[in-house]
Amino acid sequence: MSAYLKYRLLFRPLFSLGLLFFYVSSTAQIAYDSLKVKTPKHFFQTAIVWDAFSKPKQALSDTDAISKRLKNYGVKQYNLSFYTPIATINNFNRDSTINDNTHYLLTGNFMLLQPQFDGLQQHQLTKIGLGFRLIHNTGKKGLFFAEFSPFVTSDNTLKGANYWRLASTLLYSHLFSERFNLRVGVTKSFLWGNRLYMPFFGIRIGKLDGVNFSFQFPRNINFQVPVSSKVKLNAFARPQGGMFLFSNVDSVYFGRTDRQFHFTRYEVLVGFRLDVAVSNLFSFYVAGGVSGRNNITLYSERANAKYKRLPLRKTFYEQNIGSTGFLNVGLVLKFGNSKSIGKNYNLYEAIDLNNGIDPGDNNLILPNSEIRKANLKTNQLKLKDIQDLIDFNE
Amino acid sequence: MQWMICNMKKWYYIVIGLFLQMLVVNGLAQNPKVEALKVEYITQKLNLNDAESKSFWPLYNDFLDKEKAIRKNYRQAMNNLPADFSEERAKEIINLEIQTRQAELDLEKLFNEKLKAIIGVKKLAMLKQAEFEFKRKVLEAVNNK
Repeated sequence: MSAYLKYRLLFRPLFSLGLLFFYVSSTAQIAYDSLKVKTPKHFFQTAIVWDAFSKPKQALSDTDAISKRLKNYGVKQYNLSFYTPIATINNFNRDSTINDNTHYLLTGNFMLLQPQFDGLQQHQLTKIGLGFRLIHNTGKKGLFFAEFSPFVTSDNTLKGANYWRLASTLLYSHLFSERFNLRVGVTKSFLWGNRLYMPFFGIRIGKLDGVNFSFQFPRNINFQVPVSSKVKLNAFARPQGGMFLFSNVDSVYFGRTDRQFHFTRYEVLVGFRLDVAVSNLFSFYVAGGVSGRNNITLYSERANAKYKRLPLRKTFYEQNIGSTGFLNVGLVLKFGNSKSIGKNYNLYEAIDLNNGIDPGDNNLILPNSEIRKANLKTNQLKLKDIQDLIDFNE
Repeated sequence: MQWMICNMKKWYYIVIGLFLQMLVVNGLAQNPKVEALKVEYITQKLNLNDAESKSFWPLYNDFLDKEKAIRKNYRQAMNNLPADFSEERAKEIINLEIQTRQAELDLEKLFNEKLKAIIGVKKLAMLKQAEFEFKRKVLEAVNNK
């Protein structure tokens, strides 16, 4: 075959076809790319949460020496936490039928706990942590969640002493339908006043933006009823607690032989909570109810370590305290634009997971303000609301 | 970390102050998103089955984000145009308008092809009708205010 014939029969048609393909594929993007417009990178917004919790003092009725010393017990607790997306990898498969995405988030928490013991000076126990979480949406029905939250606890009455711990959660969430979800996994948590490795088992019946019942062991049981597009009422039960470094400045433990020991607490809160989403960027919640199964312990790891037969967590003081009321308020502020998630139930689930497992293992349940039913009245609309919706020349 | 604990009260009040300020500036100023209404409207009109819905919404949301970004880009350019703009700036604006229209059209063509493969041509036409109706309703609502 001559070179000219080769060119006519083979090269030219292929070249033309290639040119056509290049033209079609490039014109579809060229104008869009040349504009260099910015679309949101992440599906999650950055959130800052401020939470305050208080319950009144109760007398410690036992007659032992330490109870007499402590006199009573109450709690004031403040939390400041955040999460922020650091990277999102979003993929559509070739025929655009599956959209899987992976989200990497940075989390942080600062907790100030003030146990109210009238017999001791005021201890301000702090817990500071920075964590990392990963959420992978398979694009089908599954979600993988992993979180690692190292934190350090200290007591302001003992300068320079602190104690590192690590809380973590690994779980798989399966969305059978928008009305039914199952979660299984493992968690390492300090919520129950001890370092526990526990299975995680969760079930939700009902839509996330509607009435639903959610049982998430070992974190919470919740029944949600949306009152309006902005207000949700919840009846809940959840544990709260932790393990904190406690200074022996008051000589509670064997005189002054030990500078520090550990204070642990847990309680089960049962009550009602009102979530109010004022806007997409700001929401708050108010909760109240009964704090039951109150338990506090004191143990010295250093003293226990001297005796090989003793477990490290052997307490030198333990007290179960009666029920009392509690009050809890929180503000949630969100920043930035996020990608649209309308009717993408896998991403609703990802957001629920992210809010349901709070930064720092404190079991604050953050409201899902991103997920709510739209029943906005059209007479509330302003031009500012619709300017991105209508064509620029309309 | 020690310095933080020592000055805890001070830090606490600073953070709360910043928080409240941001709350007033950002939080209360926002209006509810009308996109949520659009999504509800399209859901009612299209009647997608589970499989269609699962593939349709991520793609459609992606399209909405890009379309919104194109419009915002043009709107910002127009809003930032000074009263006495230069001839060079005028040329840029004219070009931007053409580019914006082209980008919107290209984007729509691209997503139409993808959506057609998922929901079929008939439901794609229904989507266009629903978008048109919704836009009209919203414009009427704003007009009647």
